[in-house]
Amino acid sequence: MAGKMRKAADFTPVMYGKKRKAADSTKDRSKSNKKPNKRNKILCGGGGSDDKRKRKTGPRLPAPLRKVLGGTKRSTDSLNDSDENISSDEANDFYEYEEPLPQEESGKNRRFDVVKNYLLDPSDPVEEDENVSSEDDDNKDDYDGVSKIEKSHGWRESSEQLIDEFEDDERHLRMLQTVSGMPSEAFEGKKKKKKNLVISEAYPESEFNPSRDVLNGNGQISIEELLEPLQGKPGYTEIRKLIREDKNSTSIQAPLPRVEREMLERKAVYEQSKKDITKWEPLVKMNREAPSLFFDEDTNLGFSTVGAIASGFEPRTEFEKKMALLVNDDKVKEAHNEDGSKLLELNKISAEEYLEDRNHIAKMRSLLFRHEMKSKRIKKIKSKTYHRLLKKDRLKSVSAEMLMDPEAAKEEARKQEFKRAEERMTLKHKNSSKWAKRILQRGLEAQDEGTRAAINEQLHQHALLTRKMNTMKDSSSSSGSDDSDEDDVDENSAGSDPDEASKLFAKAKEKTLKVLQEDDEVPTSGVLSLPFMVRGLKKRKEEAVEEAKLALQEYESSLKELQDTGGEENANVGITSGRRVFGAAKRDVPKPKPSNKMKTDNYYRNSDSEDDLDENIDVGNGMKNDLQKDVNVDSGFLNEDAEVRRDSVFKSFDDVVRDPGPKTSYDVAIFASGTWKKMKKGKRVNANIKKSTVVGKPVLQNQEELSEESDTDSEGQMVDEILSAGPKPLYELPSQEELVRLAFAGDDVEEDFGKVKQEILNEEIPEPEKPNLLPGWGQWTSVQRKKGLPSWMLEEHEIAKRKREEALKKRKDAHLKHVIISEKMDKKAEKLHTKTLPYPFTSKEVFEQSIRVPVGPEFNPSTSIGAMNQPDVVKKSGIIIKPIKFEEVNAHEKTEEHREQKRSGNNQKTNKRKGAGGKRAGVRPVVVKS
Amino acid sequence: MKVKVISRSADEFTRERSQDLQRVYHNYDPNLRPQEKAVEYVRALNAAKLEKIFARPFIGAMDGHIDAVSCMAKNPNYLKGLFSGSMDGDIRLWDIASRRTVCQYPGHQGAVRGLTVSTDGQVLVSCGVDSTVRLWNVPVATLTNSDDLSDNSVEPLATYVWKSAFWAVDHQWDGDLFATAGGQVDIWNPNRSQPVNSFQWGTDTVISVKFNPGEPNVLATSASDRSIVLYDLRMSSPARKVIMRTRTNAISWNPMEPMNFTAANEDCNCYSYDARKLEVAKCVHMGHESAVMDIDYSPTGREFVTGSYDRTIRIFQYNGGRSREIYHTKRMQRVFCVKFTCDASYVISGSDDTNLRLWKAKASEQLGVLHPRERRKHDYHEAVKNRYKHLPEIKRIVRHRHLPRPIYKAAALRRTMIDAEKRKAERRKAHSAPGSIVTVPVRKRRIIKEVE
Repeated sequence: MAGKMRKAADFTPVMYGKKRKAADSTKDRSKSNKKPNKRNKILCGGGGSDDKRKRKTGPRLPAPLRKVLGGTKRSTDSLNDSDENISSDEANDFYEYEEPLPQEESGKNRRFDVVKNYLLDPSDPVEEDENVSSEDDDNKDDYDGVSKIEKSHGWRESSEQLIDEFEDDERHLRMLQTVSGMPSEAFEGKKKKKKNLVISEAYPESEFNPSRDVLNGNGQISIEELLEPLQGKPGYTEIRKLIREDKNSTSIQAPLPRVEREMLERKAVYEQSKKDITKWEPLVKMNREAPSLFFDEDTNLGFSTVGAIASGFEPRTEFEKKMALLVNDDKVKEAHNEDGSKLLELNKISAEEYLEDRNHIAKMRSLLFRHEMKSKRIKKIKSKTYHRLLKKDRLKSVSAEMLMDPEAAKEEARKQEFKRAEERMTLKHKNSSKWAKRILQRGLEAQDEGTRAAINEQLHQHALLTRKMNTMKDSSSSSGSDDSDEDDVDENSAGSDPDEASKLFAKAKEKTLKVLQEDDEVPTSGVLSLPFMVRGLKKRKEEAVEEAKLALQEYESSLKELQDTGGEENANVGITSGRRVFGAAKRDVPKPKPSNKMKTDNYYRNSDSEDDLDENIDVGNGMKNDLQKDVNVDSGFLNEDAEVRRDSVFKSFDDVVRDPGPKTSYDVAIFASGTWKKMKKGKRVNANIKKSTVVGKPVLQNQEELSEESDTDSEGQMVDEILSAGPKPLYELPSQEELVRLAFAGDDVEEDFGKVKQEILNEEIPEPEKPNLLPGWGQWTSVQRKKGLPSWMLEEHEIAKRKREEALKKRKDAHLKHVIISEKMDKKAEKLHTKTLPYPFTSKEVFEQSIRVPVGPEFNPSTSIGAMNQPDVVKKSGIIIKPIKFEEVNAHEKTEEHREQKRSGNNQKTNKRKGAGGKRAGVRPVVVKS
Repeated sequence: MKVKVISRSADEFTRERSQDLQRVYHNYDPNLRPQEKAVEYVRALNAAKLEKIFARPFIGAMDGHIDAVSCMAKNPNYLKGLFSGSMDGDIRLWDIASRRTVCQYPGHQGAVRGLTVSTDGQVLVSCGVDSTVRLWNVPVATLTNSDDLSDNSVEPLATYVWKSAFWAVDHQWDGDLFATAGGQVDIWNPNRSQPVNSFQWGTDTVISVKFNPGEPNVLATSASDRSIVLYDLRMSSPARKVIMRTRTNAISWNPMEPMNFTAANEDCNCYSYDARKLEVAKCVHMGHESAVMDIDYSPTGREFVTGSYDRTIRIFQYNGGRSREIYHTKRMQRVFCVKFTCDASYVISGSDDTNLRLWKAKASEQLGVLHPRERRKHDYHEAVKNRYKHLPEIKRIVRHRHLPRPIYKAAALRRTMIDAEKRKAERRKAHSAPGSIVTVPVRKRRIIKEVE
């Protein structure tokens, strides 16, 4: 019972609230409460008129005071607060003694003004209203009804005891109602029963004297009953659930012993505190995983720039003030401003004009500047070759100009003349210098090649300078003969006369001879002046000369041919061809080796710096291939149809001729260039020949047969000579095995390897030494002599052997016949390896990866260095680091993003770091800002 | 013929001032520098050697006390302020920068056992064996240097006398409360003469108390019954107790990881615990040769300093089993208290020889203002050294520390003993039935039980 009472008391605040609401609200609530109201009505039927004569007991406070007190009372006492509505109800409080109702209250005589009461107690009129219009009936609370019932009962009873009993009863009922907020009807049945019993109690009801109801167990109120009126309120279900749970625990256990209780409490506390601390986990994890932590919050260090400091400057000393006065003087300022405007006024030029002018000037200036830059750049170039080329270009252009412009030519001639005169006067290059004299004195033979070349060069220079004007001109575009050559060639290419051809041949022959004669063009300086190079040069030159001779022979023969055949070609074709075949066969003899090619190239490229690169190549190839060249020339001569080809041949020829260079080189090139190209097209030549036969020239038919023969020959030649020559179906490559066998014939590789492996094994795991007998060691000499080696020695030896074998077996290459895996330790490399995998790494690969990329400033751009070399903790000395402050961290969020967000979020907290950007940027721990 | 010319704009290569560095462009093609790894290895080696050469951690000693320094407190709001209490009841405020006493707080009868400063740095709380808690006003730091000490002596703001001698005191972070340890744990409000709360769990004396700076309502104490107890002020109740084989002398919470704390134990080791899992230590920090007397975390939370009875100070990584640094001097005696300064750059120790000593937290760190280039260079050296620290040569140099002979010998002896024990345990295990002897990991070995 007591427990229930307490519960009821607990509920009262809720009830109270509800009641207040009820009082405030009006009709809409009344509808829902219709039932109880009806009951009220029924009940009121009996004593409706009695309502005004409310019974009041106990001492009464003045109404206003009560009103004031009402608020406080309400909250403290559940029963008292109910009195608020019924102002005259205080008498029914349990603790109060009975007192007859004051007259004015009872209103017995109707002497007292009702209105007064009405005024004093705001709840009264409501009640009054209610009672008056009882049928409509609204705002009445269950509570009021109860009080009425009670009152009606109270008035009915006459005997004191009965009254007492009834009062008890009523009080109880009222309490129940207050507690439960249920209509009195709910309890009526019991009451009736009770009435029937009519047992008067001899003592007042109290905690210690439980009433019969209580003893019988009839008066018990179930919580459900108490809860009923709460239905539909917010929180109702929760309470009900709570109660249900409560119901399940039937009895209250005896309190636990203190120790145990405390233990449980501690357990709960610990769990709670654990849970609280766990919230830090993501934050801590993030900080731990961050490659570096930043604690250098930016602190305000004041002004950072000079401008910022200057802006806050105020003149203080007199001098400063004076200065400020002058600087900020209005007149000065004005004058300054006006000056500008005046200048503008003076400006008579129109804007467009001015702009145009300015643009023009700017353009000119920029052009000038560019020109200047260009010339500067060119001047800076140290390459001699380049300058030489430049000079040549200039000369060329000048000569072109001369051709075009007689005036310029004249000028040039005058200049040249002047130079010549000067040279003749001074004889500067005629070995007149001290150096040259000395060298001559010592003898030219005694000098090395370089010096001799230098002397030659000087002489050449002299010759050039002292040459007469017209000859000068010739030399500038190589020699006159060259020119005629050129012409010839052109003629040739145009008409390909046999006479012309013969002429050409003749000329070519001449050149070749010339080459042969003046072969000693010695490099003056540079690498080529080195003795071994010179030797090489000589050698090559000799070869070349030989070839040239051969070519000459061939040449002569063909020339003869030409002369022999003359005009009647048909008759002689067969002969020529026959000769040709013969010649070709003959030609086979001096085969230049393909390896020559590059050497000759080199030679020419280096030997004379005046050569063009292209030319060199031509020459190089030509040198080597002059035999083929002859053939081609022949065919070219024979095949009149193949003009196109020949054209190309001669074009290159022309080029060569035109190029001013040392005579040696292009003389050879006469043969060279054309044939070289020809050789490439060897096949096509034949095809063309065939074509020509198709056209139907009888001469060429013969020629075809023969040429086919000769061609096959020559092709075979070419295969031998140059590997890259055209495909030959008959030739089969040997298989790989055969090649290998051929290549390694005679040496047993496997055996050698085995030996090497054995050696290495012996080195790494040395064989145990054989036990050797030292007389007197280990045993007495006599015993030794008798028994030989002591057994323990043998045993030791055996063990050592066994061990070695085991070790050999354990080796990684034990089962690999063709492999040696060295297990020798490199002591120097050892210090660059760790013996075990270092702690935080989980695999070798990861570890190696971690030290793979260098971090130094030499190996990385400066933008990434900052991030790469970031220390684990970045802090500034002198800044207090506060402990961590909680901040929500999304565990799934990437640290990077988080950082970004944080930085953007609170700039004052975090310091933006330059160079920290990039991959490896850290996370700032959240730190309290002081 | 094509002539390739390097063209560079003059603007980019013109220096503004003659002191400016010439601009240099590198080709970062790794093929051009095949030796990079070797180069960096050598640099790492040199960096390690240089670090050894420049390692001069000791900055200076602060003398003034006339008895052993028993406790210290740093001012959380003022970098240069440091308080120290001694066994004769003297409390001094030091200016670390000038290494001089700023003022003294006389009043305690008997040893001062605990000192702490409120978070705002205005109130100093001291307690001692005379069973009093005294609150002092901390003078506002000014530029004026106080040369005469006698002028600065001050009266306490309040003196609270309580039941038993106090052993330790600690102030809540960002809160009003402070806790004292003695016969029991008392929580005080500075405005009240009596504790607002008292906890007693067990009968033994509580010898140290520490608030969690991250979680200000959680505190940990250690008692002479070899226990470590956690409390939660929100529920005003103790939470958990763990009993170890030996006593814990001091506790320090990690300021950046509020769940973790490290306990300085009598058995020469420190034990890092996760407050949520007390049955096993997270890490055992070994190295000292005698009882660890005090411990303090660096504000960065990445390392902590310990002072030991073996007359050395060691600095450990928060997760390092061995110390990163050992500091000792000839004259330094038993170390009773150590502190990391609030900017994590210095370490201060108070010892039996009545002196406070100021050390650098990184022995070879260059003090003073660094040019950016200098800083970059240091960073690079550090990075390179860190990269190759696992290689034997560098490892040897970096790890090498010169120790005083007694300590070295003690370490050797200790190692021998530990080895012998280990050997014995192994043999015992080998010779008993499989499974009958279970090897307890080191992290659990010294923990007896966890009490709820």
